[in-house]
Amino acid sequence: MKKFLVAGSLVALSMALAQQNAKTEIQFWHSMGGVLGERVEGLVKEFNDSQTVTTVKSTYVGSYDDGINKLLAGIRAGKVPNLIQVYDIGSRTMVDSGAIEPLENIAKANNFDIDQFVPQPRNYYTVDGKLNAMPFNSSNPLLYMNTAMLAKAGIPYRNSWRLSDLEAAARKLTIKDASGATLRYGIAIPIDSWFVEQFSYNSGEYFCNNENGRKARASEMNFTNPADVAFVDWWARMVKDGVMANIGRSGDNAQAAFAQEKAAIVAQSTASLTGLLKLVGGKFETRTAFFPYLKERNGVAIGGASLYAMKGQSADELKSTWGFISFLLKPNSQAKWHLGTGYFPVIKGVAQLPNVVQAHVKQPNFETALRQLETTKVNNYSAGCLAGAFPEIRQYVAGAIEEAIKGKPAAEALRDAKVKADAALDRYNSAIKK
Amino acid sequence: MTQNLEPNQTIKPFNFSKNFKQIPFYLLVSAYAFVIVLPLLTLFSASLRSDADLYAPTFLPPHFTLEPYRLALTSYPLGHYLLNSFLTSSLITLGVVITSSTAGYALARVKLPYRELIFGAIVGLLLVPGEITFLPLYLHVNSLGWLDTYTALIVPFIASPLGIFLMRQFLKSLPQDLFDAAKIDGAGHFRILWHVAIPLASSALGALAALTFLGAWNMYLWPLVTTQSKEMQTAQIAVSNLVSAEGSQWNVVAAGAILVLLPTLLAFLVAQKAFVSGIALGGLKG
Amino acid sequence: MNQSASSQTPASVAPQGSRLKHLKGEWLEGLLLLSPAVILLLSFIVYPTISGAVLSFQREDPFGKSREWAGFANYLELASRPEFLASMFTTLKFTLLVAPLELLLGLIAALLVWRPFAGSNFFRTLFFLTTAVPTSVAAVAWGWFLNPLSGWANWIVRALGLPVQPWLTDPSYAIWTLGVITAWAGVGFVAILLTAGLQGIPEDLYEAARLDGATAWVQFWKITLPLLSPTLFLVGLLTLFRSLTAFGQIHLLTKGGPAESTFVWVYRVYQDAFFNFRFTYAAAEGLTLFLALLLLAALQFRFFGRKVHYE
Repeated sequence: MKKFLVAGSLVALSMALAQQNAKTEIQFWHSMGGVLGERVEGLVKEFNDSQTVTTVKSTYVGSYDDGINKLLAGIRAGKVPNLIQVYDIGSRTMVDSGAIEPLENIAKANNFDIDQFVPQPRNYYTVDGKLNAMPFNSSNPLLYMNTAMLAKAGIPYRNSWRLSDLEAAARKLTIKDASGATLRYGIAIPIDSWFVEQFSYNSGEYFCNNENGRKARASEMNFTNPADVAFVDWWARMVKDGVMANIGRSGDNAQAAFAQEKAAIVAQSTASLTGLLKLVGGKFETRTAFFPYLKERNGVAIGGASLYAMKGQSADELKSTWGFISFLLKPNSQAKWHLGTGYFPVIKGVAQLPNVVQAHVKQPNFETALRQLETTKVNNYSAGCLAGAFPEIRQYVAGAIEEAIKGKPAAEALRDAKVKADAALDRYNSAIKK
Repeated sequence: MTQNLEPNQTIKPFNFSKNFKQIPFYLLVSAYAFVIVLPLLTLFSASLRSDADLYAPTFLPPHFTLEPYRLALTSYPLGHYLLNSFLTSSLITLGVVITSSTAGYALARVKLPYRELIFGAIVGLLLVPGEITFLPLYLHVNSLGWLDTYTALIVPFIASPLGIFLMRQFLKSLPQDLFDAAKIDGAGHFRILWHVAIPLASSALGALAALTFLGAWNMYLWPLVTTQSKEMQTAQIAVSNLVSAEGSQWNVVAAGAILVLLPTLLAFLVAQKAFVSGIALGGLKG
Repeated sequence: MNQSASSQTPASVAPQGSRLKHLKGEWLEGLLLLSPAVILLLSFIVYPTISGAVLSFQREDPFGKSREWAGFANYLELASRPEFLASMFTTLKFTLLVAPLELLLGLIAALLVWRPFAGSNFFRTLFFLTTAVPTSVAAVAWGWFLNPLSGWANWIVRALGLPVQPWLTDPSYAIWTLGVITAWAGVGFVAILLTAGLQGIPEDLYEAARLDGATAWVQFWKITLPLLSPTLFLVGLLTLFRSLTAFGQIHLLTKGGPAESTFVWVYRVYQDAFFNFRFTYAAAEGLTLFLALLLLAALQFRFFGRKVHYE
């Protein structure tokens, strides 16, 4: 009896294997959790259902950090996926790895005109004159505002904020009890280097040298620029005055504070739009606005992540990988992705599709990121900093914010962080050169 | 559930004035117990709340709901993760029990050249914590092509210096005549090990098994760096993924964490006596 | 089982003359019994330790493509970076909080429940409970409990009329908070060991002391503590190693922050290896940690090992 069972299961197994062999399987690693993860899996399923030759096997590999680290480990072991989602700041490392097949090459081979891409994301992922990755989930930072609170405090909604205006509004929105303890915070921003980077770009400063590492390889960080010093100083003051909630490094805590009406304004990525609206659940009206700037608004860089096709794939695999990429780039998929998450479309013309326009009328918050993108100057500020060892550098910047909140002068905290960051960058650059 | 670490002492009959004096004592034990279980209770409470009630400042959820559990179970194959944990922990435990008995027996009962030297070297390995070797071990396992396989999760841990040390000490402490009798009957070492040593050492082996299983079940760093795919991940890593993926929905994270806690908690409650005596024996000897 | 049948032969046929043959048979058996474990230990503990040491004298790029000898470069970098000392110091702080706290709380727990009383089983279950809680679950539970804006901890603090505390978000708090969490997670295990230790002390000693009119206080200092000292010593060693190698709770709750205040040593090794992708440098850090641990173990044996009361 047992033997029959074993034999039977072996037959079943080999049949299953044979079936799998008939289709080309593409390994796709991503880092989209929660609502975003559901949307990615939805797209993968739609693609798979439409396919006779390709099966995309998608794997959630943890956070962006986990994803790129698993990839680097995989490169060592010679075991990499066909397609992987890597965050914006991993761009330099991905190019340096020499383990990727630049998207521009694949697109050319398949007669896809890369001029179809929206310029800013294309700019961001163009390194050494070549588009290396498919901008997949492109985001920018937004302010999320509780309009009911704004109205009550007599602050008119607008989409563009100078830092000083934002401060005045946040102070007005703060409610304290008799003892001076804050009952409701004006604003909450998670301690994340990304916001400091974006404040540089939006105020017309580079975050790293050599024009954000776009003219030549970045060799030094530039976050001691006047805009960032002012921003971090502002941050620390606001926390000290009980106007800003110190919710740590977690964006989830910021969203929770907003949804619980414990903070009137929060800074978050546009990617949080769907999740945040779900969390708020219609308790109050939410409006999104552009990210603040110091004196004059330049516009922000894109954030989020892109998809890299890995080198060393067979012709069949590469064809299937491209099949999936081109499916994701179809206007229809782009519209679905945009409206399902809040990330903006990376293909021109998608925003003008009738169903997208309609959805924007219904939920104008989906438009803010697009407007912010459209009004962003296309220059090397908004191209975003390209540097190696960026994940490590981000930690030093976050640490500097925390030091400033604890009482260190902002300029000093950033200067100390710069020493560490420059050393990390230096180590990376000299390791790469060899 | 009954647990009598000390069978010879009996509980005294109820005496009001004496028990009245014991009130401060009961307050103290209750306070301690409360502090111990409080974080778990808050987690449990969060797991029974809807998104809207998640932050309501009440001890009990305002409206009970099992929705977070449904969400956690539908979006994550928690059963599979738990099965992986169970499989790897069981096989590691089995391996440790076997290698510890054979090596412990050889070092205690077989006349071998350089026996004491080998034993000394193994005792020396006790001082090498896994957290130190994990990096070169990772590179080693990587070069063997084992990343993201059960092999990587199990094989490096099926021989334990602590286990060998414990078994050697235990078998050495047994009276020699038990072994002599078997030898006179003409039994070889394998047979003596199987028919004499292992039955005698069953309590020590049980203790070793309990300790090993607990340690394997709790492994975090190793599966974190060696697994990639959903198919291979363990329950601990599932919790880590839940936190990074569902951080904005803490009720779902809480439900997932409770589900991961449940098997060990139940095992502990059901087999508390075995667990406790096992840990006590193993831990004290170690 | 085949082996046991064949191995029977030398022992059963061995007359006095073939003693050597008999010994050889015994060696063979011993080798068969010993070799699986020894091979495994050599490949998965000894070899990695040595290759880690070798690695620490090398240098490579983040992708592991080129590897070359670097002499003491990694160690020199280690010594030149302030993070090195800072991590050592953080680890020390953490350990000095966790080990004594865990031991103290575990001892209190054990002293409360080691004798049977009405409900002792119930309370023992609760006191030992954290043994069954995996690190990841413990971290999630505490993360929720200490949530900066809406956690129960701050809710309780506020109800007591105190200001809300930045448990895990303030650089001067976070390491202590993590220490308490770690002690909480380990205290069940310690309580089990110490309860067993207490129950191993002969009851007649206490009876004799009571007859002599010794108070509970005196009994504790004169009987309990001295006789428990071997157990306490071993448990102390255990908690020390556990706290020196804490990882999961830090990875899940603070990731070394805020402001690098919770960058304990193991976390730094992990970070430099799997986040900054500098395996060779991380190997040097790991080896240094190992040597520090050895030194600490030696010191503990030297200073406390002798004072422990052995029966």
